[in-house]
Amino acid sequence: MKPSRIAAVLEKETKEIARDPVTVAIALIMPIMMLFLFGYAISLDVDDIPMGVLDHDRSPASRQLVDEFVQSGYFRLADTYATPEAMEGAIQRNEVMLALVIPPRFHQALVRGEAAPVQVIVDGTYAASANLAAAYAESIISAFPEAVAPAARVEVRVWYNPALRSANFIVPGLFGVILMAFPPLLTALAITREKESGSIQQIFASPLTPAEFLAGKLVPYGLIAFVQLVTVIVIGFLWFGVPMRGSLGLLLAVGLVYVFTTVGIGLLVSTIANSQVVAMLLALIVALMPSTLFSGFLFPIFTMPYAAQLYARTLPAGYFVDFSRGLVLRGAGLPELWPSVALLLAYTLIVFALAVWRFRKKVA
Amino acid sequence: MTTRLAGLLVKEMIQFLRDRVVLMLILWLYTIEVVICTLAVSFDVENMPLAAVDLDQTPMSRALVQDFLVSDTFTLAGAPANVTEATDWLQDGRARVALVVPVGFQRDVTRGEVPAVQILLDGTDSNIAAQARGIALAIVGRFGTTAAEQHGQGGARPVLRVWYNPDGSSTSFTVLSMIALAALMVGVIYPAASIMREKEAGTIEQLRVTPIGTTELFVAKTAPMLVMGLVSVFPSLLIVSWFGVPLRGSLALFLALTAVFLISAIAIGVLIASVSRTLQQALLLSFFGLFPVLFLSGTITPVESMPKLLQTASLVSPLRHYMDVILGVFLKGAGLAELWPQALALVAIGTPLFLVAARIFRRSPAG
Amino acid sequence: MAQSHSDIIRTERLGRRFRGRWAIQDIDLGIARGEIVGLVGPDGAGKTTLLQLLAAILDPSEGQCRVLGHDSVCESAEITSRIGYMAQGFTLYDRLTVAENLAFAAKVRNVSAAQLAERRQRLLAMAGLGTFLDRREGALSGGMRKKLALCTNLVHAPPLLLLDEPGLGVDPLSRRELWRMLEAYRRDGATIVFSTSYMDEAEICDRVAFLDAGRMIALGTPDELRARGTGAVFSVDSSQPAAVENALGREPEVLGVQWQARQVRFVVRPGDPLSSRLRAILAHLGRVEPARPTIEDIFVILTAGARHAADGEIEPASEARAFGPAESATSGIATNRLSRRFDSFVAVDDVSFEIGAGEVFGLLGANGAGKTTLIRMLCGLLPPSSGSARVAGIDAVTDPQVLRQNIGYMSQRFSLYPDLSVGENLRFFASAYGLGRRAARDAITWASAVTGLAEFERQTVAHLSGAVRQRLGLACTILHRPAVVFLDEPTSGVDPLSRYRFWRLVNALGAAGTTVLVTTHYLEEAAYCHRLGLMHEGRMIAVGDLASLCAGLPSDVPATVEGVFVAYIERERARMARSGSKAS
Repeated sequence: MKPSRIAAVLEKETKEIARDPVTVAIALIMPIMMLFLFGYAISLDVDDIPMGVLDHDRSPASRQLVDEFVQSGYFRLADTYATPEAMEGAIQRNEVMLALVIPPRFHQALVRGEAAPVQVIVDGTYAASANLAAAYAESIISAFPEAVAPAARVEVRVWYNPALRSANFIVPGLFGVILMAFPPLLTALAITREKESGSIQQIFASPLTPAEFLAGKLVPYGLIAFVQLVTVIVIGFLWFGVPMRGSLGLLLAVGLVYVFTTVGIGLLVSTIANSQVVAMLLALIVALMPSTLFSGFLFPIFTMPYAAQLYARTLPAGYFVDFSRGLVLRGAGLPELWPSVALLLAYTLIVFALAVWRFRKKVA
Repeated sequence: MTTRLAGLLVKEMIQFLRDRVVLMLILWLYTIEVVICTLAVSFDVENMPLAAVDLDQTPMSRALVQDFLVSDTFTLAGAPANVTEATDWLQDGRARVALVVPVGFQRDVTRGEVPAVQILLDGTDSNIAAQARGIALAIVGRFGTTAAEQHGQGGARPVLRVWYNPDGSSTSFTVLSMIALAALMVGVIYPAASIMREKEAGTIEQLRVTPIGTTELFVAKTAPMLVMGLVSVFPSLLIVSWFGVPLRGSLALFLALTAVFLISAIAIGVLIASVSRTLQQALLLSFFGLFPVLFLSGTITPVESMPKLLQTASLVSPLRHYMDVILGVFLKGAGLAELWPQALALVAIGTPLFLVAARIFRRSPAG
Repeated sequence: MAQSHSDIIRTERLGRRFRGRWAIQDIDLGIARGEIVGLVGPDGAGKTTLLQLLAAILDPSEGQCRVLGHDSVCESAEITSRIGYMAQGFTLYDRLTVAENLAFAAKVRNVSAAQLAERRQRLLAMAGLGTFLDRREGALSGGMRKKLALCTNLVHAPPLLLLDEPGLGVDPLSRRELWRMLEAYRRDGATIVFSTSYMDEAEICDRVAFLDAGRMIALGTPDELRARGTGAVFSVDSSQPAAVENALGREPEVLGVQWQARQVRFVVRPGDPLSSRLRAILAHLGRVEPARPTIEDIFVILTAGARHAADGEIEPASEARAFGPAESATSGIATNRLSRRFDSFVAVDDVSFEIGAGEVFGLLGANGAGKTTLIRMLCGLLPPSSGSARVAGIDAVTDPQVLRQNIGYMSQRFSLYPDLSVGENLRFFASAYGLGRRAARDAITWASAVTGLAEFERQTVAHLSGAVRQRLGLACTILHRPAVVFLDEPTSGVDPLSRYRFWRLVNALGAAGTTVLVTTHYLEEAAYCHRLGLMHEGRMIAVGDLASLCAGLPSDVPATVEGVFVAYIERERARMARSGSKAS
């Protein structure tokens, strides 16, 4: 390894990147766009569920029950119906997600101290929201009327994210996913581009060793990746107001390790792919897709089938997502999180070793 | 005109069928990808590790813990001796939720007093936590009504009926949304790639010195894609039935509206190809251009849970309306009587997109 | 070649297989220090593979190779760190400037800053790039890019230089300068191995290696090689060279024909005496004399003998009648003060010229002289900034739609669909010109017969050699029997024999009444054209046949195309310099 040669590659690569403003713009703007889309759009918590009512009783009690629903804050009364057909149509047309069917003599039954069944019809199409809406509805009805004391009261205490704000959950996880979206792609393209244009042959026929060449390529892309990470961290904390309970220094340090993991994956891809299109597809398939789906970023790993869980555990993104959430939201430090960090380090070393081993100075 | 167009169409078909990589990619998107995502991607909360702190240790307290465990939502991670220990479990991630049944729970319930059951939730994953909270509330509520019934007490009793998707699993939703997504990706990426390939190879310039008009070229680039897009939906129908998702509505209506949707997708693809200079640019653009379209469509999360501004923005995403169509036709058995607003929206989005694409394509055939 | 100790390159039974096919096989080659060795051979002969093996950037499947005393497999780093290797095509970084490309090359090759400063001055001056230090590589002309690539490979003063087609796509002037640099470098005692399709480059080598189908079929000094053609090359002096050429083209014993002004040279199989029949035919037309063989003649002899039927045989131009345009045109091309500007850059500057119907017109000029822009305007692909052009009697500016039915355009590296077969490409282009089913079938049968494509009908274009692709390009261009055909560097990178065959087709087209406008960097090909146009920096500086062009020059200028070309451009440059100095 000769520092002057690495510096030469680094300088050349930096100049090339700087003269491709489109790519630089995409690399810097896309994470911000992703952050805003994920930060705002990903939320399964429903707080304004459109609800319809088919009230066969039309009594003070039935009106009070509907009122309880509206007061709970989860539901919004969208419409009331006279016939079951009208209600069915409304559900089919997506006008309401949940309908309440209050039976005749509901009031009377309650007054007499009898059990009064209330039907809750839920559109199960969006299963996640449907389950949630059903659960809320059930708990409201079970506690009705107030006069009837419930058997037990529930005190729910939510820790780390009391308001259940999805941004708190999304933003720390997004650090892990965004770094899997761009750095591998950009790095992979940077080397396959040289393969396509033939300039790589000049590299082959030069004293540059594979390690020197890859190191020189890595640093500028690593830097871009690190800038992305810092951008997302800054916007996440300042704009979305995500709490920062752990050490920022540790986050950045482990983030740097992770940056090298992702750039290393890009290098590895570029040693396999021969054309830019293939490199791009490979980067999407081995880096971005699994890290979005199998990192626990959106879909918790513990709900997956066992085989999928095993697969998820072979990917680095999950470990960084775990680490980052633990540090940011739970204020955990190295004593709790060292296994994830150690695995990331090991992963990075393996990826690099593989890339250097695969990158041979031969045209075929 | 007819000879030339026929020649162009034959050429496009041959190229499409000969490009193994793209064929495999399309098939992969429509089948394997759908299966993988459906199996792995789920918002259903299952097997959430629960730490049960039963401080009462009575039949009734054990019954309540049991009620939590019989649901698919929670699995027992262990029984810590006290709240402090449960707290540690939450901190190091061994448990995501802790149930604390207070001392004297059974006594209080039988006396008609109201004991407080504590649920400690790891709110890190807000979606999971929200679901778990709702389900925990419902379980305790049900426990209460059962107890009330045993005591002959009155009160409202919820009777839950889930329509269209009775087991409340997200399988149907994921399968269908993945198919909609595949249709979008193929519809956008294939025409973009096929135009860019001709641009890069220089063949498009060769075509410009022949009497082939740009309109003919445009038709030749879009029409086969529409047919292919529709044909490639069929393998995924098999997947759909394999997952046991019913087709309650009319297949013809589904295909017709899919065609309308594909027109918008193809128009986006042509637009991307018209402004790109290299295949790489086109791929990057289509990939990152699809991102917001996908996001605003409700394929990942229901549109209802988005902020109002994004809900409004989602109206221009053709995928959003197509999602309503595909879910409506398959799960709800909806017909044109219910789906005409979506159909109208798809036409309203697709027509201008298509016209603009045709116009730009005509202006810059060789870029 | 026994001095194996001082050999810079020594290969033994060297072979390389790609997917079961031998690209290179059984190469035993020794190259001594200071030698300059040229590799020639038809398309796909394995020249590039051999150079990559020598550069140690490809491992052999068989045999071994020692370069600069090191084994190319185990000690490849020793080799790659010392040699210079220039790959085919443009392989520098187009986003970096001239200076940055050079600095990068120097740094990765451990050249100290002081050394770089000293060498940079000399190299760039030699390459004529001194004033373009801050220009991006991508914005240079093709010739400049090649010269810069050579500079980056000379910056560490390598003892061995491997060059893959250094002159490909480079105009004659730039090629001269490229060779001037190589000559200077060689005087310092370096060794050069290069591949080429220019036979004049092969002439100046110490030794030439002929490759065909992966094997080395001949190796020797140019004199030794030329000796093989003794008695097989003749020249005919005639006042009717076209008739001679035509007569020779029909004779199976004639392997190759070359037409230079009033002289027609031809090659027969060595050892076979000239048949009395041929002598009799030629006696009517002119005087037949044995000629001194050139390397190109040797190429024709070596490869025509081994020429495999797989490359397809072009039918003699007996069907020339059928070659003619669908509607016989009375006019060819006429432009009036045609100009095209791109921003401030004038690509084509006030060009007026005329080409008659059935004329084969050669357009010559350096890279960036404006040839392609001119052709694109004449095809109606690019609107001119000012001026007018009529092609086949149709206004190319106002009526491009009508024009298209009447012209054929084969762009640089004619763009075919690589994933379609030969037949599918032909059928597609037939339909693109609106030929009906029957008409299309007839046109395809005819076009594939005259271009010798019939046996390739089912093969995918991607797997064809450059020479066959080029013929397919021509077939697709003439399917609809256009009145005017534009060929933009149709023979670039094609070996001499295939080029010769291609030109016979072009001449047959012209004879049948089709107007042909063609550009080329192989100046000897200009001899096939009826008239020539010389372009320089957007202007048409001379038009006429070779004789009249010669007449316009001082008598000391050699009467070859290259001599004329260089003389006119130098005169133009001097004129520009004078008017420039006067203006300031």
